[in-house]
Amino acid sequence: MNEDRLRTLLREEPLPGAAEAERRGLAVVEGAYAERRPAGRPVLPRLAVALTAAALLAALLLSPAGATVRGWIGEVFTAGVRHAEPALTEVPGGGRLLVQSGRGPWVVRPDGSRRLLGPYGEAAWSPHGLFVAAASGRTLSAIEPGGTPHWSVSASAPVSDPRWSPSGFRIAYRAGGTLRVVNADGTRNHVLGPASAVAPAWFPPGLHLLAYLDAAGKLRIVETDTARMLASAGASPGVTALSWAADGSALLEISPRGLWLRRLRLDKLATGLRLGGARRIPLAGDAIVRAASFSPRGRAIAVLLSRHNRVGGPRSEAILLDPAGGPPRRLFTVSGRLDQLAWSPDGSRLLLAWPAADQWLFLPVGQANRLQAIGNIASIFSPGLRGQAPFPRIEGWCC
Amino acid sequence: MGAEGSERKLIREAQRGSREALAALYELHWERAQRAAYLVVHDAAAAEDIAQEAFLAAVDSLGRFDRRRPFAPWLHRIVVNRAIDWGRREALRRSAGDPENQTIAGQTGEPAAGELMPALAQLPPEQRAVVVLRYLLEYTPGEIGRMLELPRGTVNSRLRRGLDRLRDLIEVER
Repeated sequence: MNEDRLRTLLREEPLPGAAEAERRGLAVVEGAYAERRPAGRPVLPRLAVALTAAALLAALLLSPAGATVRGWIGEVFTAGVRHAEPALTEVPGGGRLLVQSGRGPWVVRPDGSRRLLGPYGEAAWSPHGLFVAAASGRTLSAIEPGGTPHWSVSASAPVSDPRWSPSGFRIAYRAGGTLRVVNADGTRNHVLGPASAVAPAWFPPGLHLLAYLDAAGKLRIVETDTARMLASAGASPGVTALSWAADGSALLEISPRGLWLRRLRLDKLATGLRLGGARRIPLAGDAIVRAASFSPRGRAIAVLLSRHNRVGGPRSEAILLDPAGGPPRRLFTVSGRLDQLAWSPDGSRLLLAWPAADQWLFLPVGQANRLQAIGNIASIFSPGLRGQAPFPRIEGWCC
Repeated sequence: MGAEGSERKLIREAQRGSREALAALYELHWERAQRAAYLVVHDAAAAEDIAQEAFLAAVDSLGRFDRRRPFAPWLHRIVVNRAIDWGRREALRRSAGDPENQTIAGQTGEPAAGELMPALAQLPPEQRAVVVLRYLLEYTPGEIGRMLELPRGTVNSRLRRGLDRLRDLIEVER
């Protein structure tokens, strides 16, 4: 064998997953390329752009032909979608919403009727929406969607971020700086360990595996029944939320500064787990991640980004990402600041909140449905309140 | 038009905003970039990341790229330097017994198979890099020295030591 043989070996060594990697890489590179400013394009001073835009808007709005244009501008540039429904008379796409208001969590039924569950500060659905885990002060409670409490447990510190396991048999929650797990009948309430202020995330396929950030900011995956740690890795910078792919094959670390994806492989007996390195998902350089979540079915990731428009104002984009690659699919762009994002149970819609417009937007993910907006959201969830009502928080959209 | 002229044309068109030209450049260079990274780091996912990062750096610098210069050495320089950095970090973690990014109950890394990868794994990342640059990417020792900012003598000695070790392991002959 000679140097030529070495050349041949180097050229012919099989590359694991090469074709998929090439496809993913091309999508990432094309996405970054699409976001860059083409070379040689003149950059107008921001003031000149603003003045030009203002003059153009004035000309359009004052002209008779501007009548139809005005409607379009109203949808895109002013606070809120025009012709929004003034009342919540149904949940577009069906299902039940769990909504946290200043007075407590509400369950919204498919016909739009609502029930206030009580003076709880946070809430989360159980699987199939049979119960709600609700936190109030130092107490965690399990209550029926009709409001009937079943049990409560107390902790030595304020309770937050309750999360019901996909099996229905466990609830994880934070109490001060510790992560705790309790059986769904209120028994065996125990500490798992110190934790950061990030909501834990259960492994969706149904085992009692929980991903969380420990007090040192390390990402850990534990089997909660035995407290056995299956994997650990340094978390990506500034992580504020975790989201699993529905099949448990990937874990998304979400930070305002970006998104990182880790592949995960579990052996058949769930005794060994391989957690891959964090791969940063490329986003536009100026983008701030407001929210992101894996689809409840399939593997798409919905992302809500905040950017600046050409005249320096806020712009929001809802995009869909395929973790396996491919360019992002832009679902919706609006001049204004959206926040909060929830998938419908069947993955056909996204619910986005537009607090400045006091609206919810039900955004179709496929082509079959149309965008539906509902206004007066703050007052709907603060009946009888005089003055400015706080905008509510979407806690979940269930079956 | 030769390959070099054709590549310049693609770069020019990509600088002007042609997605097709960018895709053609990518197709020309991805496989070798990923392969080079993989042969240095021995981790498919890390190699993919490294190749992606190199292409993203290329996209980022596209507007400033001097079209008179060949694209491949510029890209390979990024790939190999990042791969060396990755290999050093991993070696450091292993030597320190740091459990960071390591599986607790499972096993990390692709199992090495065949005769090449286990042999390459015996070399430090710096030696793997010069072997890959010389025998996969076909750079001269002088070019490798400029890419890695090393004296040519250092490149030659790393090549010699690397080849000696590989010869022991897989009987490579000069």
